[in-house]
Amino acid sequence: MKVVEINDVYKTYRDTEVEVRAINGVTLSFEKGDFAVIVGPSGSGKTTLLNLIGGLDQPTGGEIIVAGHHLSELRPSELIDFRMEHVGFVFQSYNLIPVLTAAENVGFIMNLQKWPKEKRKARTDELLESVGLADRHNSRPSQLSGGQQQRVAVARALAPRPEFILADEPTANLDSKSAETLLDIMEKLNQEENMTFIFSTHDARVMKRARRVITLEDGRIISDERTNHNS
Amino acid sequence: MITSLAWKNVWRNKTRSFTVIAAVTVGVFAGVFAMAAINSSIVQRIDAAVNEELSHIQVNNREFRSSSDIQNIIADPGEVVSVLEKTPGVTNFTGRIIVRGIASTAGGSAGVEITGINVDREKQMFTLSERLIPGTGSYFDSDTRLNSAFIGEKLAKELYIIRYILTPEAFRSLEEAGIPAAVTEKLRSIEGERFPTEKKLSEACAGLLTSGEMKKYSLNIREAAWSYREGSKIILSFLDVSGNQTGAAFRICGIYRTNNDFFEATSLFVPEDELRRLTGLEEGQYHRFIARLENDDLTGKATSEIREALPGLEVLNWKEIQTDLAMITDYVNQIYGIFMVLILAALSFGIVNTMLMSVLERTRELGMLSAIGMNRRRIFSMIMLESIFLSVVGGFAGMAVSGIVIGITGHTGINLVKYSEGLEAFGYSAHLYPTIGGDFFIMLTVLIVLTGIISAIYPARKALQMNPVEALRGE
Ligand SMILES: Nc1ncnc2c1ncn2[C@@H]1O[C@H](COP(=O)(O)OP(=O)(O)OP(=O)(O)O)[C@@H](O)[C@H]1O
Ligand SMILES: [Mg+2]
Repeated sequence: MKVVEINDVYKTYRDTEVEVRAINGVTLSFEKGDFAVIVGPSGSGKTTLLNLIGGLDQPTGGEIIVAGHHLSELRPSELIDFRMEHVGFVFQSYNLIPVLTAAENVGFIMNLQKWPKEKRKARTDELLESVGLADRHNSRPSQLSGGQQQRVAVARALAPRPEFILADEPTANLDSKSAETLLDIMEKLNQEENMTFIFSTHDARVMKRARRVITLEDGRIISDERTNHNS
Repeated sequence: MITSLAWKNVWRNKTRSFTVIAAVTVGVFAGVFAMAAINSSIVQRIDAAVNEELSHIQVNNREFRSSSDIQNIIADPGEVVSVLEKTPGVTNFTGRIIVRGIASTAGGSAGVEITGINVDREKQMFTLSERLIPGTGSYFDSDTRLNSAFIGEKLAKELYIIRYILTPEAFRSLEEAGIPAAVTEKLRSIEGERFPTEKKLSEACAGLLTSGEMKKYSLNIREAAWSYREGSKIILSFLDVSGNQTGAAFRICGIYRTNNDFFEATSLFVPEDELRRLTGLEEGQYHRFIARLENDDLTGKATSEIREALPGLEVLNWKEIQTDLAMITDYVNQIYGIFMVLILAALSFGIVNTMLMSVLERTRELGMLSAIGMNRRRIFSMIMLESIFLSVVGGFAGMAVSGIVIGITGHTGINLVKYSEGLEAFGYSAHLYPTIGGDFFIMLTVLIVLTGIISAIYPARKALQMNPVEALRGE
């Protein structure tokens, strides 16, 4: 089952005299349960592509379809609701709301979606357990390490069961051990919940963990390989 | 959820939030307290007007107020009595006879309005008897009652019944009041000398003391030197019913002091029977009836009822007689409202500034919130609530502090006697007892919430202009 379909998408930035084709004719789709990484040199368009898929930005050409929604047809306010309902985000940093506890952060989107309290609590407990932070319910982000914060962010993204999770260089600010742990968790959740993960990275070790590697260069896909290391 | 998030956001930068909250607290307190202090004089002035001078409603012969001819009596007093008796809300009433005349002593003379009163009834209706200056006698004590007069301090001064003498007792009381011996020694040279006016006394003292000493002690000296010869007499002369000049000597039974110089200088009270005997007015003949009501809110209604029942007479309430006072009370709430709006408008600049700083330093976080699906309405309400919390916490603290301070000073009073001469000439007290109505606090609460809302508009719009992609870039 396809969760994301990208048909001949272009994204051109024109804000200086020079025109930058950040995404230059990409056609691509993601299947339910994918654990895919997007790699490529700096400036190749990884972030731009993820933003387009997540409905944070609109393409200048082509079509993106997520869960039956044609994103280019959505108005800005509808895009926000679309993101809330269908997409989980994990950013490189500044993911969490500093005044809320770990548990409140995990519950935040479910809260926006108006989940009943008991269901929300059960899901929060379950996920904090899964990411190995069962004992850090009431910790504020400032009391957590960078790796722990990213795990909370993953739990938050996953909590309301979105179509897929987008993570733009989630390990960029982490040491290799924390990065390893985060990937273990993402992999586990990918399998346990059959959650689709799409992330980008510069890191070769992270790349090796993915089951699908999409390589970008100058806004084009130059390779899309499925590796079969079933762990 | 948005509410609790907003509340937590307020306390992210404690110093900054506390500063703006403190500013609102101080601003609201200053405003409310100033209002309450001003209000004090107005409430006291109205109180005095109703309880000492006018009563709520008066009924006159139509011609009386313009010509004050002694013949302008109420033609059918029985009718007035029966109307007042059955008007709802009227708790008490009495008749008065009023003649204009001259009061004189060896020292001087002055035009006065001599009111013949039923002493017992007036005592129930008015609190003027409580205004008796201690040591000057009484409010018509029975034995000397008939040819007694109760007069104001201002008139007593004009007639030189009150003088200023630094007697040995005066020196003793100065010492008791803690005036340094160095000062009292300088004053010994005018011991026993009579000064007919405050001014003459002050001039004499100024010649002996330094200006610093004068400033500090002149009030004490004046009080100590204040002297009154008990049982002084004044001659009252006026026209009787047949138009003949008549008059008699009256013994001053007591001197009252109010905050209204004009009233003090012109209103003089004598027992009704004595004035009847001298003028030849008959039993039951009156120039004026005055009535008291259960409470002031009934004034308008009772006035129109009585007016309807007594078409041949002039019926007035205190608001119609003291139009200036009535006008003040009518507009006072609006003026307070405008004043508070101005204070809050000034404070809102502080709130806007704080909120703007807070929004700008959260650019990334707001971008992240929008990215993960917090919609514009929710972001807008979050910022708005943060701003409302700032103004409401400060505003409530300010109201609480004002409530306490007004509660205390409303009890103990604030003494402005040193600066009071100007005030008292207009009938306003120099002792303030701050007071303010509960409805003022309700209005203020609404204004404070509005301040929070209005202050939030610009920062909240700024927060909404944020583009999540831009906000998250450049990590
Ligand atoms: N808002 C923008 N305005 C102009 N040019 C932009 C904008 N955003 C991205 N670009 C350009 O688009 C191209 C792709 O950028 P993008 O951020 O997607 O690359 P990336 O692969 O994520 O790089 P990195 O590995 O450094 O994160 C770059 O040349 C970049 O300069
Ligand atoms: Mg990037």
